[in-house]
Amino acid sequence: MASSLILSLALSILTLSIPSTLQSSLPIWPVPRTLQWPHPHSILLSPNFLISSPDHRYLTLAADRYRRLLLAEHHRPLVPSAVDDAPAPPLKSLTITVADLVSPLVHGVNESYTISIPPAGNGSVAVLTAETPWGAIRGLETFSQLAWGNPTRIAAGIYVSDWPIFGHRGILVDTSRNYYGVDELMRTIEAMSWNKLNVFHWHITDSHSFPLVVPSEPELAARGAYGSDMVYSPEDVKKVVEFGLEHGVRVLPEIDMPGHTASWAEAYPEIVSCANMFWWPAGTKWPDRLASEPGSGQLNPLNPKTYQVAKNVIRDVSAMFPEPFFHAGADEVVPGCWKADPSIQDYLSDDGTLSQLLETFINSTYPYIASLNRTVVYWEDVVLDSTIKVNPNLLPPENTILQTWNNGPSNTKKIVALGYRAIVSSAEFYYLDCGHGGFVGNDSIYDRKPGTDQGNGGSWCGPFKTWQTIYNYDITFGLNEQEAKLVIGGEVALWSEQADPTVLDSRIWPRASAMAEALWSGNRDETGKKRYAEATDRLNEWRYRMVARGVGAEPIQPLWCVRNPGMCNTVNSH
Amino acid sequence: SLSSLSLPSLSSLPKTSSTSQSPINIWPKPRIFSWPRPRAVFLSPDFTILSPKHPYLTPSVHRYHRRVLTEHHRSLVAPAVNLTHANPLQTLTISVTDLAAPLQHGVDESYTLTIPGAGAGASVAAATVWGAMRGLESFSQLVWGKPSRVAAGVVVVDVPLFAHRGFMLDTSRNYYGVEAIMRTIEAMSGNKLNVFHWHITDSHSFPLVVPSEPDLAGKGAYGEEMQYSPEDVRRVVEFGLEHGVRVMPEIDMPGHTGSWAEAYPEIVTCPNKFWWPAESGWTDRLASEPGTGHLNPLNTKTYQVVRNVIQDVAAMFPEPFFHAGADEIIPGCWKAEPSIQDCLAKNGTLSELLELFVNSTFPYIVSLNRTVVYWEDVLFDANIKVNPSTLPPENTILQTWNKGLNNTKRVVSSGYRVIVSSSDFYYLDCGHGDFVGNNSLYDQKPGTDQGNGGSWCGPFKTWQTIYNYDITYGLNEDEAKLVLGGEVALWSEQADPMVLDARIWPRASAMAEALWSGNRDETGKKRFAEATDRLNEWRHRMVKRGVGAEPIQPLWCARNPGMCNTVHAS
Repeated sequence: MASSLILSLALSILTLSIPSTLQSSLPIWPVPRTLQWPHPHSILLSPNFLISSPDHRYLTLAADRYRRLLLAEHHRPLVPSAVDDAPAPPLKSLTITVADLVSPLVHGVNESYTISIPPAGNGSVAVLTAETPWGAIRGLETFSQLAWGNPTRIAAGIYVSDWPIFGHRGILVDTSRNYYGVDELMRTIEAMSWNKLNVFHWHITDSHSFPLVVPSEPELAARGAYGSDMVYSPEDVKKVVEFGLEHGVRVLPEIDMPGHTASWAEAYPEIVSCANMFWWPAGTKWPDRLASEPGSGQLNPLNPKTYQVAKNVIRDVSAMFPEPFFHAGADEVVPGCWKADPSIQDYLSDDGTLSQLLETFINSTYPYIASLNRTVVYWEDVVLDSTIKVNPNLLPPENTILQTWNNGPSNTKKIVALGYRAIVSSAEFYYLDCGHGGFVGNDSIYDRKPGTDQGNGGSWCGPFKTWQTIYNYDITFGLNEQEAKLVIGGEVALWSEQADPTVLDSRIWPRASAMAEALWSGNRDETGKKRYAEATDRLNEWRYRMVARGVGAEPIQPLWCVRNPGMCNTVNSH
Repeated sequence: SLSSLSLPSLSSLPKTSSTSQSPINIWPKPRIFSWPRPRAVFLSPDFTILSPKHPYLTPSVHRYHRRVLTEHHRSLVAPAVNLTHANPLQTLTISVTDLAAPLQHGVDESYTLTIPGAGAGASVAAATVWGAMRGLESFSQLVWGKPSRVAAGVVVVDVPLFAHRGFMLDTSRNYYGVEAIMRTIEAMSGNKLNVFHWHITDSHSFPLVVPSEPDLAGKGAYGEEMQYSPEDVRRVVEFGLEHGVRVMPEIDMPGHTGSWAEAYPEIVTCPNKFWWPAESGWTDRLASEPGTGHLNPLNTKTYQVVRNVIQDVAAMFPEPFFHAGADEIIPGCWKAEPSIQDCLAKNGTLSELLELFVNSTFPYIVSLNRTVVYWEDVLFDANIKVNPSTLPPENTILQTWNKGLNNTKRVVSSGYRVIVSSSDFYYLDCGHGDFVGNNSLYDQKPGTDQGNGGSWCGPFKTWQTIYNYDITYGLNEDEAKLVLGGEVALWSEQADPMVLDARIWPRASAMAEALWSGNRDETGKKRFAEATDRLNEWRHRMVKRGVGAEPIQPLWCARNPGMCNTVHAS
């Protein structure tokens, strides 16, 4: 990485010389760190175009996929390209060279690449170089975005050098509140790879359903899934994991525990406290709720059977998912649920505390996960919850990463100040489900006298996070250089209380693309100014290209705006 | 239309208790649904629907016949109903009193549906074919399972509260294919909605091929493949008739006409200018949003084109209501025009200009036997408005979109009939932020209150917000009679075919029930809690019928009725 950084400094000077009007004719998303195209022109792609790639289990498949895409996509830009089509021999091939073919797809793997396409008449072979196969896959995506038209033409005389700012760029999908088929998950992973996102955080289980078939605990899904047609078999998981590898996307499993586990009670009622009780009893206050939302149940840390089941789950999940990160949840452990359990009541009356209970649970599971060569990811609650939390001593920073979702940059700062690495999913910026109101029934908040201020719309994390809100979020805001290094990246999250396959694509795209660019090459131009205005036109183009590639991304503007660049802007600031 | 029902005699029918949920439901909930002993019979594989011959009822009957035999609906919660194996249902007989009544505002949509307990055939009795279609839809929702079975021992007596129950789609900001429009109309009929308000043209594109002015679409559409030909319009109108859905065209003018300038730059003021010039105040903007252009009331050519458009649109759309727009006339756009500057310099006013335009078009529309619908702005705009005497209430209806009930009250107290589309409640596009580029609003320091999310009409209107809106709240009985109904509206700055279904459904279903049978139970209490479970089922059924409605809850909630409620008041 260091050498490519030095190279980039040299290149960034050259980059400045590119007139900005030409960038709009090459709307690459996310925009590369450096791009040189001194004399914009294009050449045809040979109908027999080839990609020669080193033999690699996943890169070879990716190269073949991109070769087919390049010859078949025939992208039609919304703003017709003003680039000269030079009369020259067509581009015959792309040669990929990879320095290190054995690097596994893990956090921090080198994703840098360079692309060089010769100017018209100066040869017919383009070159893609990368440190690893995963960087080569990123380069192939960029290469595909340099092509358009029918017959296919491609930008010529162009040089790209590119690498990400953050190593962790992800999307969380919750498959427990509502179920998604494997095809939908794979479509999402494919679209992630177009956006150079690299972590599919699979929030597999929760209180509402347990769709994962765990071989040594088959009853969990058999009884806890929404139905036999709404499960993920080990074969399904293998398909998703392999598909991820072919697209350079890690598949990070989350088994949320000890909270959010009511669905476990369908198979094992004895290990779950307060299972399937009414979530917020009449006549009680919010602190006495049994769950933070309907669907109550938490694993009972005092029952040895709990660990028998949890360890079987952990072992099987790490066998199914090669990913070195294991997300173990630990968010929203709610006092009322444990307090409702008689065995826990005894424990508390013997001067035990709820936090000690959580520590018992963590001490009985964390070392086991770590022993399987996994880095454990928890939600920040495990150390930052106001009521039930563990002593940070229990969680050595070298084996622990915390994912933040509350209080924006303040909690990110708390996490890194404790020495932990942070994954940023601040709800105010990165929660894709927010802004569609609450899902809880019988809520009188929507029955106000007309004229009453509707506020942010009723959902706890409203309003809706627009692509601009997501794009502009600086996830290292307020951190010093040392602290910022502990921020390994971010994830937009789709919690599925009000989402399922009918809205999956439009909830995620193109808003996840906004984060993808901010985390890959940043949200500022060379002068340090936020580039959301310029990004609008590119994102419009990119949204249409994603739609043409088969993903139902939502529109961000009338077509008229794309056709009339700049005319839909405001020049008056708020 | 209430007169066709003798409600007192009906109130003696045994009802399903309002507290216990019926095992199978109709959306929108009928006015009277009597099913004292829930049970079901099979539909005979030879099941037939006997119906009078009618150009639109007959295709509708065929459609429902196919549906009840092939839908095989699987409820989220299996209905706990005793199934009688003997005597499968053989026939549904439709009787219609007046086969000639056309589909227009106020047509009688009442029906009575009877499915006897055993042996006898079922029946739908309706005053008109349009009421019969409503009855067929209700019948179809009482059928489920494989093999198909149907609720038995049921009497439904039904009639809408409001006659105008619509959905508005803007096909100018972004284009929708005819298939997407027809899918929407079909889903509307499933919800007993009856007016597809087609906001066809606006400043961004002019997709309608007007035979006598072909250049308008030829130059003003987004492209050849993004136009509606007369044949397309005919298909949509016919499809609407087969589904009991009126297709009401809107040609928005004299504002919102930037796209007309592609063919006729001379009749459009301030076309294709930057909408809000730098350094100018909001009041000096040229348009309320990007995309500028107003028709010039001083140019005689304007009326030549406009009348051709009006004449052809009236010919293409049989609907007796003609929506002529007249919203958001912006002073800056007319003031930017030299000929208008001259007029103003001679003590003319902008409101007089609008009156000139209205006086030159309104009588012409009326002469074509049309009732003219305008947006409320034509009378209520703060700057540019006409004198109410210009618009006789017998030929004019106003559609309200600002200030909730206040403006509804203003419209009716001026003596006009009103269609309610209050943006605080009925605008389906709100809450997804703003589409204007380069907006620094979204680049605030972290921790800054995000307010309602930045769109002018945010936040997002949830189904509950829509469901609970009482469109005659605060009106006296006479005023309330002038409220014809309502329309939810999808403006398309941030919508296109990708998100059409999910933006509309099931939120339009929420209005559909509120306007058909109300949002309160027999005791007068808002029934949003009970409606949640029914809407969950209905949304699921719509998805299976091919409409991508968005989910409102985890499946777990539907499977565990009541468990996802709150019992705490907000």
